[in-house]
Amino acid sequence: MATVDISPQLPLFDLRLAPQDLEAVAETLRSGWLTLGPRTAELERAFAEHLGARHAIALSSCTAALHLAYLAAGVGPGDEVIVPAFTFVATAAAALYCGATPVFAEISSRARPSIDPADVERRITPRTKAVCAVHYAGYAAPVDRLRELCDAHGIALIEDVAHAPSATLAGRKLGTWGLAGAFSFFSNKVLSVGEGGLLCTDSDEVAELSRSRRSHAMTSGTWDRHVGRTDTYDVVGLGYNYRLDEPRAALLLSRLQRLEAEIARRRELTVRYRELLAHVDGIIVPFDDDEVESSSCYVIAIMLEQDGRQSEVSSRLRERGIQTSIFYPAIHRFSAYRERFPDISLPVTELASRTELTLPFYPHMTHEDQDRVVTALAEAIAP
Amino acid sequence: MSEWRVPLTDIAMPEQDVRAVLDCLESGWLTMGPRTQAFELALAGYVGTPHAVTVSSGTAALHLALLAAGIGAGDEVIVPSFTFVASAATARYLGAEPVLCDVRSPLDFNIDPDDVARRITPRTRAVVAVHFCGYAADVADLRALCDEHELVLIEDCAQAIGARIDDAGRHVGTVGDLGAFSFFSKKQLCVGEGGMVTSADEQRAARVRLLRSHALTSSTWDRHLGHDPAYDVIDVGFNYRLDEPRAALGLSRLQRLDDDITARRAIARAYRERLATVPGIELPFSDEAVERSSHFAFPVLLADRATRDRFRAELKDSGIQTTWYPALHSFTEYRQLTPPDGLPQATEVADRHCALPLSSTMDEAAVETVVEVVRTVLA
Repeated sequence: MATVDISPQLPLFDLRLAPQDLEAVAETLRSGWLTLGPRTAELERAFAEHLGARHAIALSSCTAALHLAYLAAGVGPGDEVIVPAFTFVATAAAALYCGATPVFAEISSRARPSIDPADVERRITPRTKAVCAVHYAGYAAPVDRLRELCDAHGIALIEDVAHAPSATLAGRKLGTWGLAGAFSFFSNKVLSVGEGGLLCTDSDEVAELSRSRRSHAMTSGTWDRHVGRTDTYDVVGLGYNYRLDEPRAALLLSRLQRLEAEIARRRELTVRYRELLAHVDGIIVPFDDDEVESSSCYVIAIMLEQDGRQSEVSSRLRERGIQTSIFYPAIHRFSAYRERFPDISLPVTELASRTELTLPFYPHMTHEDQDRVVTALAEAIAP
Repeated sequence: MSEWRVPLTDIAMPEQDVRAVLDCLESGWLTMGPRTQAFELALAGYVGTPHAVTVSSGTAALHLALLAAGIGAGDEVIVPSFTFVASAATARYLGAEPVLCDVRSPLDFNIDPDDVARRITPRTRAVVAVHFCGYAADVADLRALCDEHELVLIEDCAQAIGARIDDAGRHVGTVGDLGAFSFFSKKQLCVGEGGMVTSADEQRAARVRLLRSHALTSSTWDRHLGHDPAYDVIDVGFNYRLDEPRAALGLSRLQRLDDDITARRAIARAYRERLATVPGIELPFSDEAVERSSHFAFPVLLADRATRDRFRAELKDSGIQTTWYPALHSFTEYRQLTPPDGLPQATEVADRHCALPLSSTMDEAAVETVVEVVRTVLA
């Protein structure tokens, strides 16, 4: 075991930027124009085109995108937003920002940890304003069925696409199935810049509201004034500072050029991971092999069949220099949410949260590293 | 893009700043890591405050400062009307009510402590002292007033990093219970979008730190360093994090901040010398206040609104970019918050002022160009 102890650590994710990415940022910095300028406009155009959406609005984070998406759906005090609990806390927190109540729905199963449309339907009330579907790990949630369900009830479908840029369902990009899609460019994401997000929509009204609210509901921006387009401004609502700045827009634009190539590499590695993991006893590998092709392959999530071993297996892997994470602790079990929403029981979600482990994964991962992770996992699980 | 002969602002971006960002990008670690820690440590040292917590914007800083001060639904927060909208909007995020107050006068257009005192009610919980355009508000008086009425004093330092509140050289952001700063692209210390909260109170700083990242009990960085992957969420937090490239840029630029402020002050002095004798122009603030200011903007006063608007239009025609700051109670969204007295001083300064070009990269020749145009326009 001594050789294992001295091997380099395999991190959960490892970001490598290309020289042209750095050059794009350097050029922007040297231009001296750092906020809401031509690069943000170009990013929004390119991203909308990439998605096949009418509008893309660059934002400071996916949390900001979710907040604006809920606001655009008309979510306000006293309303309800149905969200999965098997997701990052922002999906629910953004509903609280609007003064609304997040209503947690179950996932379908540990093998399919996406929000369950049948459970969503059971939780719809007259106060439901929106449903948020999370495309967990980059795999499509059943937004086709959810879209029908939401349309039938006259409520908005919002997509949390934090994990799933460029992923598709039935050939249609995720994020374009509902009223609005919320993307993340956080540092460990498929398309990362540090902190960043984006909202896409086909609705002119949603786009207008999002653009206005991201910059304090001012009727003109610094750039407009710089180019002499307007002289002053009015404030016509309660807005926020949810702007992305130009260096990050430039970095995203540069990275967007290679997104498909990087995802292709992620898919190859995911296929190989899944083949290796198929031989490990005692785990569930979520989603089907044939879904990899339409996924963005954000992370490699596995579920330990046996409950109660997550911490132990994670520790054993850490001892072998392999970092793991939990995607995700169930939101309704967090202290802040138990205080506000006691007595919520979501057995499938809770079991998934207690048994999930996320394994190291990044586009330049080697086959040897994958082998090492899977071997170590098998050993860590073995009694 | 219009080509201004003299633009309102300009940013110097020396290669060492660019290099600092590129080094960070090459490291592959982009959020909440060693550069953010180093930037925060350096900022705390610069401002002279025990705790500095970086956030995503000045707006985020105000929001979290108010939250950490315990402001909530039904509370009243007194805010001067002559400020950027974030000073008031952030109270509304918490369900609190901004109560607009007046500034002292067009010649001293910061928050008026006497007017604040008149607007205190049993529901008042906080006062937001805005150090507008880089000129320090009278935080000594406000501190005494807030202590007397057990109110929280928040300093809105979004335009005033490096400004001094007294001859002892104490920085803005060190007298209030919390200070909120901005690193927006036009600011003295700019990184694009960014901000910071300062506080001498360890618990309040810890709360800001917690709430800027969704009230998670551990960060991605902690987990990267090998800490347990499990975490709890112990409050309703936000994503108000600054990322590492911006921290790297800020840290690099902070080394030159005092030099930049000195350069801005030299421009302000040069303007004042030349404009002192120009009929039709009044210069706000005393020479002493100019020495303590960190000079975000260089405002001058014209006779009235119509004259100001004409003045700006003629400067624009001559390639000189200017701006002005509307008072909050003139906005559609805030009109209904106008008190019966109509906030006469804020109204007047908003109507009469115009900010002339000012940046650390300007030289005396540019000042001369602007002043020549001003003289011609007012002749």
